[in-house]
Amino acid sequence: MTRGAGRALRMSYLVASVAGVGFFVMSVALLGVWPKRVLEAETRAMAPEHPLGLSVSELRGRAIYGREGCGYCHTQQIRYLHADMARFGAPTLAWETRLDYPHLWGTRRIGPDLSREAQTRSADWHFAHLFSPRAIVPESVMPAYKGLFEGAATEPRQEARDLVAYLDSLGHAREIAGPEGEARARAGCECGDDEMAQMAFAGPVNAHPARARRGDAAPALPATVNLAAGQVLYADHCATCHGASGAGDGVAAAMLLPRPSNLAEHDYTVERLADALWNGVAGTAMPAWREYSPHDLAAIAQVVRGFRSGGVEAPLPEGLVALGERVYAANCVQCHGERGAGNGPAAAELKVAPTNFQRQRPSLAEGLRALRNGVDGTPMAPWTTRLNEAELLAAAHYVRGLYAGDAAR
Amino acid sequence: MEVSAPLRAASRVDTKLVHAHGVAAIVTLLLSVTFGIIVSLELLYPDWGANAAWLSWGRLRYAHTQGIMFGWLGNAFFAFLYHAVPVLSGRPVTSARLGRWMFGLWNFAAVGPGWVLLLAGFSQPLEWAEFPLAIDAVVVVALVLAVVQFVPPFFSRGLEHLYVSSWYIIGGLIFTLFAYPMGNFVPELVPGASGAAFSGLWIHDAVGLFVTPLALAIIYFVIPAATRRPIYSHFLSMLGFWLLFFLYPLNGTHHYVFSVIPMSAQVGAITASVLLGVDVIIVVTNLLLSLRGSGLFPRDIGLRFAAMSTVFYLIVSMQGSVQALMSVNQTVHFSDWVIGHSHLAMLGFATFAGAAGLTHVWQRIPTARYNARALNHGYWLLVVGVVLMVTDLTAAGLVEGRLWQSGAPWLDSVRAARPYWIIRSLSAIPLAGGFIAILVGLVTGPKGAGLASVEASVGLEPVAAIAPRLAVVATEAS
Repeated sequence: MTRGAGRALRMSYLVASVAGVGFFVMSVALLGVWPKRVLEAETRAMAPEHPLGLSVSELRGRAIYGREGCGYCHTQQIRYLHADMARFGAPTLAWETRLDYPHLWGTRRIGPDLSREAQTRSADWHFAHLFSPRAIVPESVMPAYKGLFEGAATEPRQEARDLVAYLDSLGHAREIAGPEGEARARAGCECGDDEMAQMAFAGPVNAHPARARRGDAAPALPATVNLAAGQVLYADHCATCHGASGAGDGVAAAMLLPRPSNLAEHDYTVERLADALWNGVAGTAMPAWREYSPHDLAAIAQVVRGFRSGGVEAPLPEGLVALGERVYAANCVQCHGERGAGNGPAAAELKVAPTNFQRQRPSLAEGLRALRNGVDGTPMAPWTTRLNEAELLAAAHYVRGLYAGDAAR
Repeated sequence: MEVSAPLRAASRVDTKLVHAHGVAAIVTLLLSVTFGIIVSLELLYPDWGANAAWLSWGRLRYAHTQGIMFGWLGNAFFAFLYHAVPVLSGRPVTSARLGRWMFGLWNFAAVGPGWVLLLAGFSQPLEWAEFPLAIDAVVVVALVLAVVQFVPPFFSRGLEHLYVSSWYIIGGLIFTLFAYPMGNFVPELVPGASGAAFSGLWIHDAVGLFVTPLALAIIYFVIPAATRRPIYSHFLSMLGFWLLFFLYPLNGTHHYVFSVIPMSAQVGAITASVLLGVDVIIVVTNLLLSLRGSGLFPRDIGLRFAAMSTVFYLIVSMQGSVQALMSVNQTVHFSDWVIGHSHLAMLGFATFAGAAGLTHVWQRIPTARYNARALNHGYWLLVVGVVLMVTDLTAAGLVEGRLWQSGAPWLDSVRAARPYWIIRSLSAIPLAGGFIAILVGLVTGPKGAGLASVEASVGLEPVAAIAPRLAVVATEAS
């Protein structure tokens, strides 16, 4: 090699090395450092004044979530896409991820996104589902995490409690920041005419179709139904808890508190069923079924109404009618309301809404069971220490008389 | 004895290290594939591993991909490098002793303990970075040692003109060292969305700066060595190389399209992804033109693996350019389409390149056993398996994506995926069979049969003439 050629080669290698390193540095600067600066500025501008942090238990749960690879089937990132927003809620903002060391965004969804899981399902639903996913969702492909329990879903170890605490924290910081938090984020967002950035505030923060919503309006269910389709839907989605014949004895029933309703022991108005199916039953493991159309829900409601054996109850002995009214007025109105509509003065305070007897009529036996034993997992306590047998019987009869039937509205 | 220049180079090949890494590659491959098969079956029989945490889906999923990248591809690349670096540079690697240390470090301080820790529940939930931090530190040390081992031979006599494979080897080793911390350490220090941006860099650079350059180094090496014709165009080779190193790192953010990461970064990454497809067309054109006259299914097994790897590289890269586009990405992202894509890259392109390198160097170890029949069966089983699996998962992804957009209940997408998951699990039969056949091909059969097969495939006299001398120099070297 001549000296000139050698120098040219040395120059070309120098240029190559600088160029190679330069390309790499450029990629880190453009796709790492610069986005980081933008996102940090966004976080400062859009976060609520005192955003919620994670508790020690939630942090431990987060580590378990990472350890078990939950993020490889469940994303924690709602994209700026209408399909994502309709299913899960508001797109994930930068400030919501500010404590994620490391991030758990994920790149695969076998199960649904969990960004808005907080207050979407009850703790015992989660315990039962983690212990035995198919006891709740027969077609689920989720692994069972029996190692987090002492042999039963009702015996969660601390790890299970931590994990569920973590799941129940997902999206909580944004929800608890409330409308003023959203307003602050919107003001801090340099959205201007950026349609995509504005999507972050376009819909409800949590749009999870399974989230129980107390007191929301439910759609009117169509009158004509496909009973066969309803039976399939019931078997696929309801039977694990409520049992194949509606007796509240499905495989998951023993894992849940309050226990799933015994559908065969109640008369329900159509509105009552529409409400329970569309809104779920807050405070219980009963989720909302908004993924399904009113047609599907109507078919399920028809199946549920078919479980009631419809036996005629023995008439109330004369003389007890007045007693029932007195007992009810003295003991039950606080929660169940004067006319039994579940709207007593204390009702709003209770985690599980008191039964609305106008829309739901328990059988005499079911009513007596509730009065004698209370309803575990709800504020309904046993009344045997305060009421005698005649009073219990009278009250059980009385509430049945409050039922308004389908013509109520 | 008078020997030619390539033979002198070959005499500097440490065949023991080639052999050790080759065997380690196949063993870790079979283990990683086993993890993958269990993971696929657990989607069909989800209660199967319920009572043993280490058998659960998430942990095995971590072990599957880390094993494929570090165990299988890492060892296969090292086996190839111990052959290729002396041949390309005309000098031995830095130190045989260092080589033994690296072998031990890579397999018994990184991959082996990494797997044990993952399955025991010590991991980090970052894609392509699941080994825990302690293992990450070992990997960094091993990567530094790999640079020390393989790069200096190219420059120990001063600067020389380098063949394109040498460029890819030097670039791949050095830039993997730079890129590795982006995905393995930075997201532990930078939270959430910002961490994801760095994570995206590594997710793509693991493929782009580690797997792809070394796989291409193999293909660029095997084609001229097996066809005994020069590469079609050195200009196109170098153009392809520089475009790759310019464009590949700029792809990272395409893993987070429609996220909160600044839209200009997303658009930039998508643009780079499309341009990368142009680069791949240049590279593949050059490679296919170099293969002209040999056909797409040459007799030489190493060459045949290299040819199919080139084809897979073209398909997976075109797919990558298309799926980065926003309109496509919004449907296929998060779905089995992406799982199909990553298998086409790692199981199609990279694994076929690894097998090309391994079979090519094996043929040239006079003391290695070699069973051409088994390797031939292995090749066809793998082709069938890859095509079946990737086609199936691509279709599954389209079905899932449509259902997600339609607003159908979530469970409908799980139910719809089931038949595709069954076919995916069935594709494990040809794939596992193919890998076992490759193992059989490399550990059974007569010693030195590889050289005979080279001779048969080329139909040339010189191989027979040089074989005894090669055996002599190899013995002297060891």
